[in-house]
Amino acid sequence: MKEKKKEGVLDILKKVLFVDILKGLSVTVKYNVSRSVTIRYPDEEKWIPYQRFRGAHTLNKTEDGKELCVACELCVKACPTKCITVVPEEDDTGRGIADRVPKVWKVDLVRCLFCGYCEDACPTTAVRLGREYELACFSRDDAVREKERLLKPQEVPEGFEGGVVVSAKFERTKEGIRVKPDIWKPKDKNWWKKV
Amino acid sequence: MTEAVIEVAIIFIKVVVLGFILFSLPLPLTWIERKIAGHIQVRLGPFRVGPHGILQPFADMVKMLFKEDVIPEQADRFLFRVAPIISMVPVFMVFVAIPFGESWTIPFINKEVTLYVADMNVGLLYILAISGVAVYGIILGGWASNSKYALLGGLRSSAQMISYEVALTFACIGVVMLASSLNLIDIVKTQTGGLTNWNVFYLPVGPLWFIIFFIAGLAEINRIPFDLPEDEGTLAAGFHVEYSGIRFAYFMLAEYIAMVSMSVLAVVLFFGGWDDPTGLGFLPPIVWFLLKVGFFIYLFMWIRFTLPRYRYDQLMSIGWKILIPLSLLNILVTGWMII
Repeated sequence: MKEKKKEGVLDILKKVLFVDILKGLSVTVKYNVSRSVTIRYPDEEKWIPYQRFRGAHTLNKTEDGKELCVACELCVKACPTKCITVVPEEDDTGRGIADRVPKVWKVDLVRCLFCGYCEDACPTTAVRLGREYELACFSRDDAVREKERLLKPQEVPEGFEGGVVVSAKFERTKEGIRVKPDIWKPKDKNWWKKV
Repeated sequence: MTEAVIEVAIIFIKVVVLGFILFSLPLPLTWIERKIAGHIQVRLGPFRVGPHGILQPFADMVKMLFKEDVIPEQADRFLFRVAPIISMVPVFMVFVAIPFGESWTIPFINKEVTLYVADMNVGLLYILAISGVAVYGIILGGWASNSKYALLGGLRSSAQMISYEVALTFACIGVVMLASSLNLIDIVKTQTGGLTNWNVFYLPVGPLWFIIFFIAGLAEINRIPFDLPEDEGTLAAGFHVEYSGIRFAYFMLAEYIAMVSMSVLAVVLFFGGWDDPTGLGFLPPIVWFLLKVGFFIYLFMWIRFTLPRYRYDQLMSIGWKILIPLSLLNILVTGWMII
């Protein structure tokens, strides 16, 4: 049998004067006047992930605008869910870095599990998993991304370090809604880590 | 004849104004409560409807009004409908006897109006009696729902009321002994003239009266840490688990108004009502009164988001083993001090 701990005079005095309750109240009132940690996501702020983040695919180009992809189809082979389709074609007009370029390069983001094997397989670092994470769409067909879309430059450039909350703008257009980040306006949201 | 008509008209206007204020009070209070909850938990609280979410209560109200009003098949349909009203009406009736100040002269026509609806000689008794009726709404609501959770909530509520009503009343008796009147206006008048005359600073028993009153009051209005009738951890939502739409809103309304009435009562009985603690008179008495009430409402919310809920047996032992003996002892000591 567990022996009941004897209460000293000090413990009883503590109980009578509500010391613990007052301590609790002082903690909560401190938090009541402190800053909040909420990221006001669609309206004012947005989280930019770290560089290691694996979001939606993107196809890179060289600095002079040539497609890096040589349609070798290694990403198709590496993909565990078979969500990438590549159809190669011959094109020597200088569109790509080689004569072999993709006619079709599409990825089905519904089936993709964002493992990043396609990045690893790619010999020319053409395919990268970017930092776009707002992938919601209205139909399954919308989730299939074609080459034209993937070739567009990313919203957050590859060199940007990330891991910060930046100010953003909520935009409502005919094409849909989007949250446009302003990556050069970071907001300090890490104050609570130092508390 | 005309004087009597004017008197009746003034009372009618007062009741309408008071009723309107009380009906609209839960709107700002829900917003404030959610904001306080948010900031205590380092969140923001409602933010999207209007600036800083200030229109959130209106959105909630519209939602409540348009929700389907479900009555369970096995429920007692009459009692199920009547229970929210039974719990709501008494908390409104309490305010009839509560004085918000002495009097106020209407500008331009120089007519003096009293800032209370009824000057009752047994005001305190009336309030305690009426607020005891409100628990019937909870018990009937729990019973009529024909649901296990709701019934348990109702049972807990009745047991809690029985044990804490006694302590609450005993805590008030000290104040009544000091003022030798049950009239709330007289009770406030005995406390006028600065901080030291307030009942809560009537040493050594004053603070004890207040603490007993406050703890029993928390239990009486079913707020955390004594909100066992609607204990969402074990009873889903307790007595109002089967209620939806506007009937649920009635229960919430009753809860918020009960919180206001308990704050008002604490101010009137222990914190000098509309008495100005500074004695300088740069704020009108009604502002002092509202400030004090506001502080108590904040205190209720602050406690809600600080303390966890007591277990049921702990609740009972606090009530019967500590509060009631302590309040009896307190009355004894008060008696000696007065003699």
